[in-house]
Amino acid sequence: MTLIAERVSMRFGGLVALEDVSLAVPGTGIVGLIGPNGAGKTTLFNCLTGLSAPTSGRITLGGRPLPADPAEAMRGGVARTFQNIRLFGEMSVLDNVLVGRHSRIRQSLLGALVRSPGFRRSETEAAERARAELAFVGLDPDVRRPAGSLSYGDQRRVEIARALAGDPAVLMLDEPTAGMNGAETAAIGTLIRGIRDRGIAVVVIEHDTKFIFSLCDHVHVLVRGRMLVEGPPTSVRDDPRVIEAYLGTAEC
Amino acid sequence: MTLDDAKVLVDAPGGRHANPARHRPDLLAWAGAALVLVGALLPWAAFVLPGGAYPDRATLQFFDAPHLVSGFRLHLVLLGLAGLAGRARRPAGIGVVVIAVVHLAFLIGLGAPSAGGPVALVGGVLLVWRRPAVPALSLPLPGRVLAWPALLAAFAGLLWLVSATLTAGGQSRATNPHGGAEFLAFCGFAFALVGVLSAYGVLTWLAALTQRHRIFAFTVMLACALLLPVTGAGTGYWMTVASTIGVYAATAIGLNIVVGLAGLLDLGYVAFLGIGAFTAANLAHSVPFPVAALAGAAVAGFFGVVVGAPTLRVRGDYLAIVTLAFGEIFFRAAQNDIGGLTGGVNAIPGIPPITLFGQAFNQPVGALPGGFLYYGLAVLLVAAAMVVLVNLKHSRTGRAWEAIREDEDVARAMGVRTGRAKILAFLVGATMAGLAGAVFAHKLGTVGYESFDFSESVTLLAAVILGGMGTVPGAVVGASLLFVLPEKLREFSDYRLMLFGLALILIMRFRPRGLVSSS
Repeated sequence: MTLIAERVSMRFGGLVALEDVSLAVPGTGIVGLIGPNGAGKTTLFNCLTGLSAPTSGRITLGGRPLPADPAEAMRGGVARTFQNIRLFGEMSVLDNVLVGRHSRIRQSLLGALVRSPGFRRSETEAAERARAELAFVGLDPDVRRPAGSLSYGDQRRVEIARALAGDPAVLMLDEPTAGMNGAETAAIGTLIRGIRDRGIAVVVIEHDTKFIFSLCDHVHVLVRGRMLVEGPPTSVRDDPRVIEAYLGTAEC
Repeated sequence: MTLDDAKVLVDAPGGRHANPARHRPDLLAWAGAALVLVGALLPWAAFVLPGGAYPDRATLQFFDAPHLVSGFRLHLVLLGLAGLAGRARRPAGIGVVVIAVVHLAFLIGLGAPSAGGPVALVGGVLLVWRRPAVPALSLPLPGRVLAWPALLAAFAGLLWLVSATLTAGGQSRATNPHGGAEFLAFCGFAFALVGVLSAYGVLTWLAALTQRHRIFAFTVMLACALLLPVTGAGTGYWMTVASTIGVYAATAIGLNIVVGLAGLLDLGYVAFLGIGAFTAANLAHSVPFPVAALAGAAVAGFFGVVVGAPTLRVRGDYLAIVTLAFGEIFFRAAQNDIGGLTGGVNAIPGIPPITLFGQAFNQPVGALPGGFLYYGLAVLLVAAAMVVLVNLKHSRTGRAWEAIREDEDVARAMGVRTGRAKILAFLVGATMAGLAGAVFAHKLGTVGYESFDFSESVTLLAAVILGGMGTVPGAVVGASLLFVLPEKLREFSDYRLMLFGLALILIMRFRPRGLVSSS
């Protein structure tokens, strides 16, 4: 499914956060979104995940408009992680991932009350799937600890497993390597390629341009609310406008 | 703390091997244990008091028959012996201090000098003071051959403890002038007992066993609860007290769903108990009890949705205010007899007892005491509430509630329709309270608005927090404590709220996750 933003604008009072931004996330592949601080990356991200409705413009997923409601967007197939990790800290790691699976689990309240065979089957299936996602992101599926007690890097991985458990068509990662060292960043890069190879489209927001250029199939550069450049990493990297936006003009 | 964590702690350096008490004898602690033993055998009251001999022949007469060590003296001897073992020292010491302080306070109040009291108190303080910092042991989990008898023994022990705590000190001041002291001292002993077991990892071990053999454990627990009438607590009076506790415990479990699982602070929850009670009271003369009970549950559930609806817009403190207002609206409406449904200040009297198959529930059955049937009904109610809480907690719905409690925005982003989930939490919680309310009405025979004021909501909330939010036994433990204590300590009724407050502060300081908590 393709996630498309068409001429999306977002205004907060007089402030124009996004202006006529268009972006297409193809059904597979890794799309990078970079830009200096305050460029509107997070605002665009919030529109693409249903958190806020754009002032004008259209966002569609697989041809149908994306509901401006995070729960419905997730059900539609857009899953996300958070820049500052937001796990359900007191819940177990497995339960965190199971919450990500919430919208794909079919259970009736009555079935849960009497623990009917159908209910137990669906619980077993969901737990198996959650364990598989934990194993996929490289964590021990049998860990029983509360998620909040894991290390920083492992918490990021749980967030990714939680998002993957909901069978997303598009996975949105908000600065997945924030606060990580070189080796950890490389490991996350490998993980993201693994997600792409499962046929899930990935959108990555990052400050780390090196990481984005080595990882993505397609890169968008957002500057002051406008889409400045887009294209394959090699061409975007050498574009003088991008260098200017990041480093400023050479004065001589 | 989970079992895994405990194992790590024990194996880690600074755990088992670094326990200094193992290597060099702790003379002060041993002296403390010796003082406790000596104190237990010394006279506690120097003369026979006007109200009769102090509990357990604690006067000089004691030396007529020193081999008859019973009651709190027996407890002190046991705790003194336990104080010799490193791990048990601290809980045993706390128990000794509680017993000594309680008896000393009563003896001072009665104007009687005491010899044994101060000695035991010093011994207890020494035991607590010389505490070795030892983490709980982690015991291996046995197979079924050993696990089932262990669970049977554990629940039988629990039954004994509950029965002994209920009956400690007799049922009123009229029959036993020293009842308050005996009861409080027994609580100290019970606390020490549980503490010692916990220090040796037995409680964690039993919790893990219960978890593994869930159905067996639940059956045994239910059987033990129904056996209470054949213990020392099997009188009509204690059956009435116990069934009242059961009704409140079931209500507290319902509140635990709303507050503990979904994290929605509800300050007017007792209104749902009231709605169920008034509905059943109005229907009592026209329909059989099961119908009235279902109607009470349904009406309360309906109002649960009514209160739940505003939760879609407000959060946290604001939600608490909305629920507080709802509780107050209900209370005032009931007080003013709006619609002629609540009887106002006259209450609704003359509600007939539940009658099934020609047997009225307030009459004795065979050799069993009167009120036994209400007690059995209350036990079933609590059991049903427990099943609802546990089964929902480990389901899609329960996980969604917990996710909302932890971070509502993220729960939404994960596909949880939070509005529906929150209303469902209110619906389930209110339905359970309504059902409990119907039993409440029939059991009391009279329902008046005074039973549902704000302080009752606070007490229920305190029961949930005290016991441990989100845990199943927590609400039962909390409700039992909060509704047994006033019954047992009528002489302190003026200080009730102050003592509650004090207990809550202490719990929040030393066990912030409640008395029963998994981690």
